Amino acid sequence: MGNITSTSFAPECNELKQKYDTCFNTWYSEKFLKGKGLQNECEDFWIEYKECLDIHLAKQGIKPLLEEAKKELPFDENNNITDSQIQSEINKKSS
Amino acid sequence: MVLYYKNKHTYNHNFETVTLAYFNRYPNPYSTHVKSTDTIEIFIDKNGNLHQLKLIKKSGRLPQFIKPFLGKITTSWIIEKTIVNPITKELITFNCNIDHKKIIKVEEINFYKFNSNQNKTNSFVFVKFSSGFTNKFSFGLNIKDKIENWSKNKFSDNLAKSRKGLQIVMDSVNELLLKSKT
Repeated sequence: MGNITSTSFAPECNELKQKYDTCFNTWYSEKFLKGKGLQNECEDFWIEYKECLDIHLAKQGIKPLLEEAKKELPFDENNNITDSQIQSEINKKSS
Repeated sequence: MVLYYKNKHTYNHNFETVTLAYFNRYPNPYSTHVKSTDTIEIFIDKNGNLHQLKLIKKSGRLPQFIKPFLGKITTSWIIEKTIVNPITKELITFNCNIDHKKIIKVEEINFYKFNSNQNKTNSFVFVKFSSGFTNKFSFGLNIKDKIENWSKNKFSDNLAKSRKGLQIVMDSVNELLLKSKT
């Protein structure tokens, strides 16, 4: 946070990433957490940044790995955790 | 065998500071192995929870005993899913490597929950280490157990460092938030 943010895996997308990250941090703390932001106000920045990412994800051959990993995430379509072991650990802590 | 690791920790910061720091935890002085982070997906679900998917690139070496099988691996890609519930003030994170999964798959879940009475954020981490090696492939050397043990030990050794890194980011986030409120 602040002046130093992490870089993109694709240097070509760095500038778009910085713009998006800066917008996100402000929106997240000033709107989203305060219940004033049900719309992601940084979406336009993100779409531009994502277009850049998609090109380089394909170029560097990471896309197939990423798609496979997305399918294996332990969350169902309602975003509940599908791994019973993980869920029981969370239940223990949040009760 | 699959190995597990569990640990808990309390941060003396509110939910805003903890989560902002988590999302911005790289770079920090303890994260020189982290090369990049990118936001691959972001959306708010019908219940008002914020979902993000990030792609993280790390550099790192595998132990000597694995080299005869796979040679030198210098980078690894990690997928990170996070869900923030702004009402209950809970953050769930899931991190897992997306390449070299046959060698070792490390699935890390963090759960953060704000305690308003104490003005602190409690967290716990739960990690699963599973290697895809079979004894047939490892010529009876029990590489599977060896690499799971190595990975678990490495994780617990590094945990203090990653918490220190996060703590540094939290302190600077906190300072910025205080400044912006005055």
